[in-house]
Amino acid sequence: MTQQYLAGELSVLLERVQAVTTTDAARCQVCSLRHEAETEPVWALGWVTVRALALTEGLCWDSLCRGDTAAFTRQAAAGAALHEFGVCAGLLHDA
Amino acid sequence: MMAEGQEPQDPTAQVSEAQIAVHWREEENYPPPPAFVAQANAADPAIFDRFREEHFPECFTEYADLLTWDEPWRTVLDTSNPPFWKWFTGGRLNASYNCVDRHAASTPDKTAIIFVPELESDDPVHVTYSDLHRQVNEFAALLRDFCGLKTGDRVTLHMPMVAELPVTMLACARLGVIHSEVFGGFSGTACGHRIADSGSRILITMDGYYRAGSLTDHKVKADEALAAAREEGQEVDKVLVWRRHPGQYASATPMTEGRDFFVDDLLGNYRGQLVEPVSMPAEAPLFLMYTSGTTGRPKGCQHSTGGYLAYVTGTSRYYQDIHPDDVYWCMADIGWITGHSYIVYGPLALGTTTVIYEGVPNYPDGGRPWRIAEQLGVKIFHTSPTAIRMLRKVGPEEPKKYHYHFKHMTTVGEPIEPEVWRWYHSEVGKGEAAIVDTWWQTENGGFLCSTLPAVQPMKPGSCGPGVLGVYPVIYDEDGNEVPAGSGTAGNICIRNPWPGIFQTIWGQPERFVDTYYRKYNKNPDSKDWHDWPYFAGDGAVQAADGYFRILGRVDDVINVAGHRLGTKEIESAALTVPEVAEAAAVPVIDDIRGRVVEVYASLKPGFEASPEMEAKVSKAIETEIGKIARPKNVWIVPDMPKTRSGKIMRRVIASISNFADVGDVTTLANPEIVEDIRHHVQSAKVARDDVPRQLTEAEFEEIKKYGGE
Repeated sequence: MTQQYLAGELSVLLERVQAVTTTDAARCQVCSLRHEAETEPVWALGWVTVRALALTEGLCWDSLCRGDTAAFTRQAAAGAALHEFGVCAGLLHDA
Repeated sequence: MMAEGQEPQDPTAQVSEAQIAVHWREEENYPPPPAFVAQANAADPAIFDRFREEHFPECFTEYADLLTWDEPWRTVLDTSNPPFWKWFTGGRLNASYNCVDRHAASTPDKTAIIFVPELESDDPVHVTYSDLHRQVNEFAALLRDFCGLKTGDRVTLHMPMVAELPVTMLACARLGVIHSEVFGGFSGTACGHRIADSGSRILITMDGYYRAGSLTDHKVKADEALAAAREEGQEVDKVLVWRRHPGQYASATPMTEGRDFFVDDLLGNYRGQLVEPVSMPAEAPLFLMYTSGTTGRPKGCQHSTGGYLAYVTGTSRYYQDIHPDDVYWCMADIGWITGHSYIVYGPLALGTTTVIYEGVPNYPDGGRPWRIAEQLGVKIFHTSPTAIRMLRKVGPEEPKKYHYHFKHMTTVGEPIEPEVWRWYHSEVGKGEAAIVDTWWQTENGGFLCSTLPAVQPMKPGSCGPGVLGVYPVIYDEDGNEVPAGSGTAGNICIRNPWPGIFQTIWGQPERFVDTYYRKYNKNPDSKDWHDWPYFAGDGAVQAADGYFRILGRVDDVINVAGHRLGTKEIESAALTVPEVAEAAAVPVIDDIRGRVVEVYASLKPGFEASPEMEAKVSKAIETEIGKIARPKNVWIVPDMPKTRSGKIMRRVIASISNFADVGDVTTLANPEIVEDIRHHVQSAKVARDDVPRQLTEAEFEEIKKYGGE
């Protein structure tokens, strides 16, 4: 199938997550996930999305603990966009 | 370990088509709307006779006749070096001439491209064919004289959805320069790998573009790309930077003097210049389109000039029903093959008006696409199921608020669920539009399966039969044809060459043959195209009416007793068990069923492995997918073997289940877990006399490569 665009859209959304990370370690992890999105087979994108969401969730919790509401808001928005795309693309099951 | 009391598996259980990974019932047919039929380019069923196999390959001259040739072809299809097919050999033409010049001569003031900026406060920009002719010529002069580009050179483009992108592509085509566009959203590193593989010495990019309302810095990726290319030994001489707002710089990344140049600064030197379109052999490469999803060397699909352009023009005319006076909007990105074929080359070759929208479909809200359609008078709409699902989610009632009327709509890229198709038909199409659900790939150039919209009824969830002149077939793993209506899935292949098929993988002809033809080739020495069916890599079923339903990639399924089970579906089903943290499905060689599924699962903190937990996972899979998918074993493990980036190494656990060598585990983040799992799983299997026989070499290779690692 011409499903290449799913990898592209996922890469763009991961770039957005990368932009809202607050530590170098998290940034590296997202960068690595983005590389996977750009190079792995389409069937593996679901698992990339799941891990990216888990990472974003961790960022949100971390920001909450630090009381950084601005970072939390950006991270939550990035996570929401990633989740919505994942569901619409059939990479994730809708809860 | 199997839970006590679990039912034994019945290898002879009959499973209907509905229990295969896609669980859709046979849907009703929707006839083409009479108003559409009355104006359609192809409404007479006699067209099928013209494209029957006895008229192959000459039938495709009907497509080639839509183009203007400098010299006529001598041979429609040259099969002297299979599977490197050559179409319209002896013919010469220029793609830029066909998309620009001949329309600029006849209808200069007609709009070729409508660029819709993402910011709704900015007006659409209409580029006439006369404008396009001037811009393409001026940029071609710049590429030739400033960059020193000549026929056969490769250029990498890393550009967003702006009118400057087709201008750049057509300028390259004018010179016979091979363009390689990288999706604008991809990282600079991804772009760099493609620069290196293609041997490009020029990168053409843009400083920034709007996405979700913000002006993003795109130029920063150029520096990353050049660094990545340099690591692979490829130097880039020049970076041409289009400015999103001429005169203003949208990036925080400094320009490198002597290497980076603003296009709008340079173009002044080429105002009014005309570049004679280079007459190219039909077999000359027009562009490269890289597919992602490949580890190792990138895969650059090389598309021809004559065959490709004829095919996209013909399919645009008959399957998109594009007329010159239509306004046509394909919402894909030009960075993918859909955009090359059905935003730029196909529509412009037909002299129509094509819309290029910069931004995301739901910016600033879910009504945006319909406002664009209303404002521009769009008659033909083309998008993906993912976009349709998203628009349905954010604004199910939005389409009815706007006064547009589509006569034709396309869905492309993935199977679409019947309920989503029905929303697309009744709400987006207002019950008026003919819909084509198309199946094809980057490698194919254009549609392979679709209904002919004015003649064949639509069936939600099915892409229809093979298109004109394309003869699909489904083969099982042994190369036997799977008959229509049998309810059995298999590998969809195309029996014959077609003009849009890609020529090769750039620089990797052996990989081209191995990946797409080795599987079902009957005789490597044969010059007969019948012996070289094209292996698409997708699973499919064919209904009794001849319509195909695509099931997804075959490399992500496990074939159990002839039934294809998607690993994603199995793992997702396991993850519905709340206690499960991770799940991985692997194939195990089985003499009766061919392959059976085993599932490995790790639990969330606080939960313990138990036979009840295993039964719960097994039951969840059976409930979600069907009895055929029930795993032979569920193994609850403390953790999965993973790479340092967290990816599960499926080949390792597949090897464990098959008593095969697990290979190199030194690079794992947790190599110690491998021995724990191996001991647990294999000792349990030995205790139950469930040890598979020794694998054949082919089986070992299959297990070793499982998971794509």
